Parts: sequence; structure tokens; C-alpha cells
Amino acid sequence: MLRTDNILNTVRMLQEENLDVRTVTMGVNILDCAGPDISAVVSAVQNKIRSKAGNLVRLCDRLTTRYSLPVVNKRLAVSPASILLEGHTAQDALLLGKALDAAASDVGVDLIGGFSALVQKGMSEGERVLVESLPQVLAATERVCASVNVAGTKAGINVDAVRLVARQILKMADVSKEQNGFAAAKFVAFANIPEDNPFMAGAFLGPGEPECVVNVGVSGPGVVKRAVERLVAARPGASLDEIADEIKHTAYRVTRTGELIGREVAASLGVEFGVVDLSLAPTPRVGDSVGEIYQAMGVSKLGAPGTTAAVALLNDAVKKGGAFASSSVGGLSGAFIPVMEDHALAQAMADGTLTLEKLEAMTAVCSVGLDMILLPGDIPPETIGGIILDEAAIGVVNRKTTGVRVIPVPGKKPGDHVDFGGLFGSGTVAKVNCPDGAVEFVNRGGHIPAPIQSLTN
Amino acid sequence: MPDPANNRFVVSVLVGDRAGILRDIATAISDMGAEIDGVSQTVVEGYFTVILTVSTTAGHVPDEIKAAIEERFGTDEAAIAVRPYGPGSPSRYTTEGDRYIVTLTGSRHLELFRSLTAFLASKDINIEDWYMARAGESVTHIGEVSVPHLLDIKQLHDELSDLAGEMDAKVHIQHENIFRATNDIGPIKSLLRTKPC
Repeated sequence: MLRTDNILNTVRMLQEENLDVRTVTMGVNILDCAGPDISAVVSAVQNKIRSKAGNLVRLCDRLTTRYSLPVVNKRLAVSPASILLEGHTAQDALLLGKALDAAASDVGVDLIGGFSALVQKGMSEGERVLVESLPQVLAATERVCASVNVAGTKAGINVDAVRLVARQILKMADVSKEQNGFAAAKFVAFANIPEDNPFMAGAFLGPGEPECVVNVGVSGPGVVKRAVERLVAARPGASLDEIADEIKHTAYRVTRTGELIGREVAASLGVEFGVVDLSLAPTPRVGDSVGEIYQAMGVSKLGAPGTTAAVALLNDAVKKGGAFASSSVGGLSGAFIPVMEDHALAQAMADGTLTLEKLEAMTAVCSVGLDMILLPGDIPPETIGGIILDEAAIGVVNRKTTGVRVIPVPGKKPGDHVDFGGLFGSGTVAKVNCPDGAVEFVNRGGHIPAPIQSLTN
Repeated sequence: MPDPANNRFVVSVLVGDRAGILRDIATAISDMGAEIDGVSQTVVEGYFTVILTVSTTAGHVPDEIKAAIEERFGTDEAAIAVRPYGPGSPSRYTTEGDRYIVTLTGSRHLELFRSLTAFLASKDINIEDWYMARAGESVTHIGEVSVPHLLDIKQLHDELSDLAGEMDAKVHIQHENIFRATNDIGPIKSLLRTKPC
């Protein structure tokens, strides 16, 4: 028997606190589409995506009606495209990228991830073709998202790959300079990339994943923020462990909502259910901000001493609530801090209270890394390489995922404002301290060995 | 030997709430050698109400059961009804459909409850449980209802919203699984026995 107060609590979460499912992402294996004839490859890829995902959006919309629960984004993630590009050219890579874009459009999803390569230990020819093609592919497509895994705890850091990727990020920005370098916003460099992440831009279907699988990203941060606000309003002196407890209980409910939707979508489509990703993914909308959660906890100026601890508290409480709620937790699962996509974080960057260096510290305890950060257009590739190396080091040593999604904005200087619109948001170009202070280190190239933490057997 | 099928009764008791009412009723029934098969009890604004099904092999008639229960209460304290539960009694009403939760909030409006329940009845939506609470001028209704599979939920929601809007109220109808997911602790898989959409 349902209790009336529980019913009203759930209704409040749905109607007043923006409880939703942030993304339903279908993973589709496209490795069986590989072959020597690129025309046949792209045709097979498009047919497979249409056959597997043709009903995805319709089903999600039905569930939205059934539960009065919005499924905000419907997306696709495919096998690493680099594998299909073995023996092919950069021109072929462009054709494949456009085919993925067209297939995503056909089935009505807004983004498709998996234009990806795993190069943490070295780079095959297909992987090199993919990385070299990234600027043209991301500029020529609307929905395609790309990622390259440059490091792993077991592999160490592929510094040569980091240097190449850094140069490619600058090219992505350059080929899309009319859109303020927007192509770079669809690319992430990872350490320890998860194979089942449903969130963009880093989603892809890992080699160990099923033929077709539905992964889900839980609700945005608004519900957690309101829960903290409610607790603090009722008990102004609430301690941090009380706040952690409140977040944990809220995360439990949010996670189960996500799993319910994911399992129903998977069952209706006759495919496997994969994971619930617990990550709190903000949007630029007021009330849908991770930064606002820290503010609700008492960090009035984001970036002030104490902010990293607030991130750690939130990240841990979300994981604990989610881990009890579901046996199918995966992906990134924690708290995102994508600066442009979170109005409170973006404002703190504009105000100067939140700096690139403080963000880096926060990434040591959040679920991802430096995400959606604008950089000056004249930043040297070695500086971008250094940023990626630092993040990769945090990920590799701490056995966690870290990522770098930065956008060098052609013609812009620190303090300039840039607006991408929509979910990608707006922000202020960050100042990078000592931008040429590690050129020699980065240019040594080679490989940073796997840390001692990798020897676990 | 009395036929147990012809010795079942449905009993209802309405009385001002106090501690010990169920004890008094249960004692009266068990002292007669009868078994209580089912109970549903609630309190609404200070009034206790219970409905029970009772079976006996001792050949009792309804008036005997009623009298036994009345002895436990003061004169005119309780309104008691006892009816045979035998052939011709209603079987459990079932609707081929899923269970949904209707929540409606608005100001006190004479037509609100009547219009809503009339609408649900017109769609063959069976109300299985209903709760209403007032707080000042506002009122909240929560209903557990069975919605036939044939009904289009989106259309139903739109029509309900139009109806509520006419009375300055807000209404939602949501599948019960969302409430079970957020409040129960069992595995989500166990909720998915209903037909996928």
C-alpha cells in the first residue's frame, strides 16, 4: 500500500523539483559493418542504427506520458569508429562521420557518440586516421560526438597521443571559428574512459558491451539542490553529515527512477538493460545547476576554499545512495562540473572566484574532469597538452575517469564572453597561468609509465 | 454440517474513533467462534470505519453477529451493518489495466470531486482507493485507480487537465510504478511485471 505522504513527495519531485531522466542512450554494436568498401560500410551502419533505434524516441515519449516524467535526451552510442576505419582514409572517415550523423537524424536523436579511439598504449592506423579526421568530421556534422582515450591506470599516459590530440583540438576550433570553435565542444580526451557512459560527448559502446544495450543517465541536479535547500530551511544549523545523508536518500530515489525507465525502454525494445549512470548533469537553466548545490550547502562563492570538499561530499553521497538503489550502476557516476553548461559555475568563472587551477583540484574528487571550459584562441598546443596530461595524471593515479573538454575560441582573450546557446551554454574565456611554462616537458613525448597502483594482481 | 460458503458475512462498523475498537470487534467475533477473513480499516476526520469479511461454521445469522458487536459499544455509539456474503455477492471488480495514481490539488470547489469521479467512471476507470485532505481552502485528492489498457494515457491526461483547469485545479495521473520505484526498496525488476508500453 502506498502512503499518501510518499505519493505527495514523489509528485513534488516530479512537478516542482524537475525530476527527470537526463538521458536514455542506446548502445549499438556496429563492428559487424566493417569492410574494405567504405560505401558498403556506411550503408550497413545506417541500416543497423535505423533497425535497432528506430523506435527509441517513440518509446521514450510514451514513457514520459505514462509516468509524467520527462526523458530529456534520447541518444546513441556506437562501437569505436576507429575499428571500422582500419585500412581506410581520412576521406572515408568523413563519409563514416556523415553517415552516423544522418542515421542519428533519421531516428530522431540529438547526439550520437562513438567517433572514438582507444589509444592509451599506442595508435593503430585506423585510430590515427580517426584522430587526424576529427576537425573535418566534427565541423561537417551536427550530431556526432567524439572521444579519444589517451591514458589508463593499467596503461599509463600516451604522451604522443596527447600531443596529437592537443593539436587537433586547436584545428577543431579553427575549422569552426565562425561558431567560436564549437566543434571542439563535441570532443573529449579521456583517461580511464568508461565503456558504458551514457553522457555526451564521451559516450561510446565499449568492446566488452552487449550487441545492443540501453544505458540511462539519472535526473539533473535540481532535485538534489531542492532537497538540500529544504533540509537547511528546516534545520538552518544542519551539519555536513546531515546534508550528506539527505543527498544520499535523494540519490536513491533518483537512481531508481532512472533504472525504472531504462529497464522499461530495454524491455519494450527487446534489448539488454545496461547501467544507470548516477552523474548529476546540469544544464544552463537556473535551478538545474550542480554549482547551486554547493551554494545550498553554504559555499556562497564557488571556488572558495572548501569548494573541493563540497564536491567530494556530493560525489560520495550520490554514489552511496545510487549504489544501494541499483545493482546496475555504471558509467561515470558522480558529479559533473561542466562550466559552460552550469550557470552557477559559469558565473563563478566570470566573477573570477573559480579558476582553472581550482577546477583541476575539484576534478580530483568529481566524476569527470575539466569540462566545457573556454580557452584563449592563441593558446599553444603544448599548453592544451599540459592540461590534458595533468588531468590524465589525476585519473591514472587515482584509478578514476578524468576527461578534458576544452574549447580554444579563435580571436578571444581571457575574460571574453562566448555563448553557444542551448544545452552547451555560455561562459567566460579562462585565464591559463604560465601558458608556456611546460613546453619542454610536453614536447619530450613518449609515454608516462603506468603507476604502481596498476600492479594489483 | 453448515455450508461454509453460506456462512460468510460482510460486516461494517462506523464509530467515533478511540483506542480499542478493533479489539472490541475482534473479541465479539471470536467469542462467537467465527473467523475474520479480511479487514480494511481507516479513520476519516475522527470517524473510525472498518469493513470485515467473517466466516463461521456455527450457523449464525446476520442479526446475531450484529448484536454481538453492538454489545461492545454504548447505545447508538456505532452504526453496524451485517450482510450475508454468499452466492450473488459481488465478486472483486477487476479492470484489464494498470494501476495509476491520480493526484489533484485545488481550492475547495463543490464540483471538484463529483466531476472528477464522474469523469473516471465515464472511462470505466475503477477507483480502488481514495484519500482526500483539506488544508484551509486548498484540497488534495489522491486516488489509486485501474486504467483499462485500451485507454490512451496521454489523451486521458489531457482531458483530466482540461477538466481540472475549469475548476482552477491541477491534476496528474501517473503509473504507480514511479511511486513504487521512489519509495519501495525491492528490486526495480520486480515492478516490471506489467505489460511494457
